[in-house]
Amino acid sequence: MSARAGQWTAAPTRLRPILFGIGGLVLFLTLWKCAEAFEWVRRGTMPDPFLVPHAAVDEFTSGRMVPAIISSLIHYAWGLGVGIVLGFLVGAAAAVSRWFDELHAYLARVLRPIPPLAWVIFAIAWFQVSHAGAAFVIAIGVFWVNYFATYSAVQKVDPRFFELAEAFGHGGFWTRARNITLPAASPGILTGVRTSVGQAWMTLIAAELLGVPGMGQEMNAAAGVGAYEAVVVYMLAISAVYAASDMVFGIIERRVLRWMPSSV
Amino acid sequence: MDAVIGVKDLRYRYPGAETPVINSLTLDVARRAFVSVVGGSGVGKSTLLRMIAGLIAPEAGDIRITAEQQIGRRRRALVFQDGRLMPWRDVHGNIAFGLEKLSLNAQERASRIEEVLALTGLTQFADRWPHQLSGGQTQRVGIARALAVKPDILLMDEPFSAVDALTRQHLQTELTRIWQRSGAAVVFVTHDIEEAVYLSDRVVVLGGNPARVTADIAIDDPRPRDRAVSAASSITREVAEALAPGGGAHI
Repeated sequence: MSARAGQWTAAPTRLRPILFGIGGLVLFLTLWKCAEAFEWVRRGTMPDPFLVPHAAVDEFTSGRMVPAIISSLIHYAWGLGVGIVLGFLVGAAAAVSRWFDELHAYLARVLRPIPPLAWVIFAIAWFQVSHAGAAFVIAIGVFWVNYFATYSAVQKVDPRFFELAEAFGHGGFWTRARNITLPAASPGILTGVRTSVGQAWMTLIAAELLGVPGMGQEMNAAAGVGAYEAVVVYMLAISAVYAASDMVFGIIERRVLRWMPSSV
Repeated sequence: MDAVIGVKDLRYRYPGAETPVINSLTLDVARRAFVSVVGGSGVGKSTLLRMIAGLIAPEAGDIRITAEQQIGRRRRALVFQDGRLMPWRDVHGNIAFGLEKLSLNAQERASRIEEVLALTGLTQFADRWPHQLSGGQTQRVGIARALAVKPDILLMDEPFSAVDALTRQHLQTELTRIWQRSGAAVVFVTHDIEEAVYLSDRVVVLGGNPARVTADIAIDDPRPRDRAVSAASSITREVAEALAPGGGAHI
C-alpha cells in the first residue's frame, strides 16, 4: 500500500518540471498573442506568434535562411577561432614573460575598454561589408575574454608543481609548459573559451545588424518591409544555433577536464 | 664510510634574509642507509632536503652525490609532504611522470610502473584520479612515483605528517619493507621522534640558529621492529633530549 502511494507521488515529481516548463511557454505565448490581438503596441509592429511557423517555412523555402545561417556561422567560426588563438597566445606570453607583460600593460589598459562594436566602423572601412569584417569585430571581443582568462589562469598555477617538475627532470621551459602549466591552467582557459562562445554570438548578430551579410542582416531586411514574423524566425534560429554550439563545447570541455572532481 | 651523500660545511640563507638558516652543516649518508633528520619547525630540515635534491643551491659548502649516473635511473627522487600529485593525471600518469625524461622504451616504462604499483599496493587504483584517493593512497602514489625512477637516494619530506595515525603506522611498516627491497638510501625528514626512531638506522638532530647537526644517534635494533619497544627505548629519550632547547651534544 505504502509502496503504491510512493509510486503515485513519484510520478508527478518527475513530471513537474516538464509540466511547469511547458506551462511557462504557453503563458508567454498567450500574453504575446494578447499583445498582438489587443494592440498593446503600435499597430503592425507586433508579430503574430501563430504566423511564425508559416514565416519560418517561407524563409526556408525562399532560400534566404540557410545561406544566412551559413554566412553567420562562417563569421562566427573565424572570429571565434582567431580570437581564441590570439587571446591565448598573448595572455600566455604576458603571464610567463616579465618584459612582455610590462611592454603591453598600458596598451591593454587603453584598448580593453573599447567595445568590439565600436570597431565596426573600421571593419567596414577596411574590409567593406565582407566576411572578414564581421570576423574581425567578433575576434576583438573574443580576444579580450581569452586573453584575460589565460593570463590569470597561467599566473595562478601553483608553483609547487614547478618544483615537482624540476625534481623529476621536467625543468625545461617547453616540457614544463606542456606537462604542468597548460593542464593546470586548462580549467581557467576553458572558462574563457566558453564565455567567448556566447559573447561572440552576441557580437556577431550586432555586427550583422550593422550591415554584414548573415542572420542579423536578414532580420534588418525583414523589419524594413514590416515582416516581423520573419524577424522572430531569425531570433529563434539564433537561439537554436547558440544552444547547439554551447552544447558541443560543453561536451568537449567535459572530456578535456574529466580529471576534475566536479565533472565526474 | 661508503657514503652516497656527502654534505660538507653547508650554508644557506633565504633570499633577503640577514643571517643564514643553516651554517657549517656536515653530514654523510651511507649507501642503503635509512637516516632521519629531525628538528623543530623552521629549523631548515626541508631546506636541507631540497639542497640535497638539487632544487636549491647552497650559499657555501659542498654537496656530493657519489652515486653513479646511470641510464634509465635518477640518482635522487623526492617524496613531498603534500603528496603533490598532478590532479590532471591519473595514478598511472603520475607515476609515469619521472620516467618520461629517462630514455626508456614503452615496454620498460610499463613494466617499471607495474612493478612500483605492485610494491606500493596500488595496482587496482592505477586508473583513479587523484581526487578519488585517500590521504594514505596519495602518499603511496608519491612514493611509487619516486621509486619508479630507481633512485639511489630517496628524499622524503615529512611524507606521513598529513595522514591519520592508523594509516601512518601502516605506511611506516610498509616503507621499511619497500626501502629494504629498493636498495636506495633514504633521507627522511620528520618532526615525529617516535617515527624517526622506529624507521631509521640513524637519527640526525638539527638545532641551533643557524642550524647544524647537534646530535647524531645510531640505532642498531634489528628489524622488524616493535613499535612499542621502539617508542619506549632509551634512544627515543635521547633524541627527545637532543631536540629540547639547549639539549644536544655539541660536536
